[in-house]
This record gives sequence, structure tokens and C-alpha cells, in this order.
Amino acid sequence: MVTLKILVVDDSEAFRKVMIELLVRAGFHDILEAESFEQAVEVFRRERPKFTFVDMILPGKSGVEVTKSIIAIDPSATVIAMSSIINKTMIRQSLDAGAKDFLLKPTNAIALSSVLEMWSD
Amino acid sequence: MSLFLFKKSKAKGADKESSLGISRKYKLLPGRAYVVEESPPDMSFDAFANLINTHDEGKKPVGLAVTRQHPDLVRQKYGLERTPIYWLATKTGPDVIAPTNLGILTHTLINFVEEHENGVILLDGIEYLVSNNDFPKVLRMIDQVNDHISQSSTLMILPVDPRAFETKEVALLERNMERMPGVGGI
Repeated sequence: MVTLKILVVDDSEAFRKVMIELLVRAGFHDILEAESFEQAVEVFRRERPKFTFVDMILPGKSGVEVTKSIIAIDPSATVIAMSSIINKTMIRQSLDAGAKDFLLKPTNAIALSSVLEMWSD
Repeated sequence: MSLFLFKKSKAKGADKESSLGISRKYKLLPGRAYVVEESPPDMSFDAFANLINTHDEGKKPVGLAVTRQHPDLVRQKYGLERTPIYWLATKTGPDVIAPTNLGILTHTLINFVEEHENGVILLDGIEYLVSNNDFPKVLRMIDQVNDHISQSSTLMILPVDPRAFETKEVALLERNMERMPGVGGI
């Protein structure tokens, strides 16, 4: 069992559940959830997860704003942007905001494991 | 007539996608063809888009997709700006290949393999090809393309819906190809 803390930010409960299932299968059990910008920032500030997976399209403030706020709190945070389409402009904005990588939704065990391995210290 | 059609089907304009600055998620090797047992073909498309949007040791691949999905939707969802996408459909038009025209399809794929280094082919819609031809014909076409791939730096991703095939047919497909690493079988 891996004891890394992971935060999943997505307004879709169904997608959060899929991500949690994939993460649990990969051996991660300390998983936190948030469905909005405000919740994400609050949970991140309190729990300081190692990885934060952020959906780029959220109601209200976008995933780019979430990324900027998280990086402002902890510049060493590992934020992974997610989206159901590959919008190159949005991905570049996310990377410019401090995201380390991008995952296409719905993701899968191979892509997710690759990202976790790539960005784990 | 056939020469004219062959010329028309050539994978012209295959160009590299602009760099995204993201990591490569799929460790697939050149000169190999990979079967991905899945439905819908999300992982296959993700792998294709990831490979052609990332570098591997400085080499950025160029892609070619053949699909049952409309090319406009594929371009939009996977951010493909420069990659040629052929639509498997009965409708006539540019960049459309009729499912019964296996000769054109074979020629298009082999041309791409011969003309590009570090190519990545996504061949989606095998089920549609089989329903418009028969399995042995489609298998021969895939084997023929695979013969060229195995002597090249190109790789091919072949999503297969296992529900559409007999176990024996899946085994025949996988005879000269590999399963995508990390994906379970049927």
C-alpha cells in the first residue's frame, strides 16, 4: 500500500469515483475529493496532498485558476491537469500555471501509473 | 482508375503535431503492432494522441489515423491539427475510404510506413471492415501492413472490440501482433 496523499478535483462525482477506483487499484488509499475551486483550495491548504488531479473545466473558476492557487500555496505541489478533450491552448495555460503534466479523461491504469511514476520523487 | 484512386489515397500532408510539453505515457516500440482489446477505443486514441504529441529521445512521431468516427470529431477531441485522418465510410469525399476497398486502405497504410520515419498508425474500425468483407480478407490486409511495419520505425495501434470476434479470431489477430502492455485480455 502506498501512503501518498492524492486530491482529485472534478465536478463530476462519477468521474471522481472512476479516478478513485483506478488509484485504489494502483495501491493508493489516501484519496481526497473536491468538486469546486473553493473546495479544492480548502482541501489542499489543509491536507497538502502530494498529487492533485485537476479537471480543467469546472463550474465557476477554471482548473487553471485552481492550479495557480495551489502552486501559490505550495510551489512544489504536483498538479496534473485533466480534460475530456485535448485543447492545446488550455493545456499550455495549465502547464504555464504550474501543472506538471496532462491526462486525457477518461484515463486508464497505464496513463495514470505512468504519470504517478514520472512525478513521484 | 485504380492508379488514380491509389494516388488519391496517398497519405499526403502527414506532418508532426505541435509540441505539448507533456510526458509520454505509453511505452510502445517501433516496428511493432499492438492489439488493444477494448470498447470504446478510448485507450487506443489516448495512446495515439499521446505518442504523436510527445518526444521520445528527441524523435517526435508523425501519425495517421483510420477510423469509423467522423474526422472532425476526432480532430476536436484529440487536438489533432496536422495528422491525416481517414474516415471509414460509404459516403464519398476526400479522405474517405470505403470499407469494402481494402486495396486502397492497404496501399494508404503501406505508403505511410514507407514514407515516414517514426510513424504511428491508429487503425480503428476493424469490426466495420470485417462486417463489410470477411475476417480472413481483413486479417490478410492487416498482416500485409504489419509485414511492412515490422521492417520499419513505425508502430500501429489496433483497437479491437472482443465482443465482435470469436476467441479464435482474436488469437489470429494477436498471432503477429502484441497486446498493449498493461491491458488484460478477454
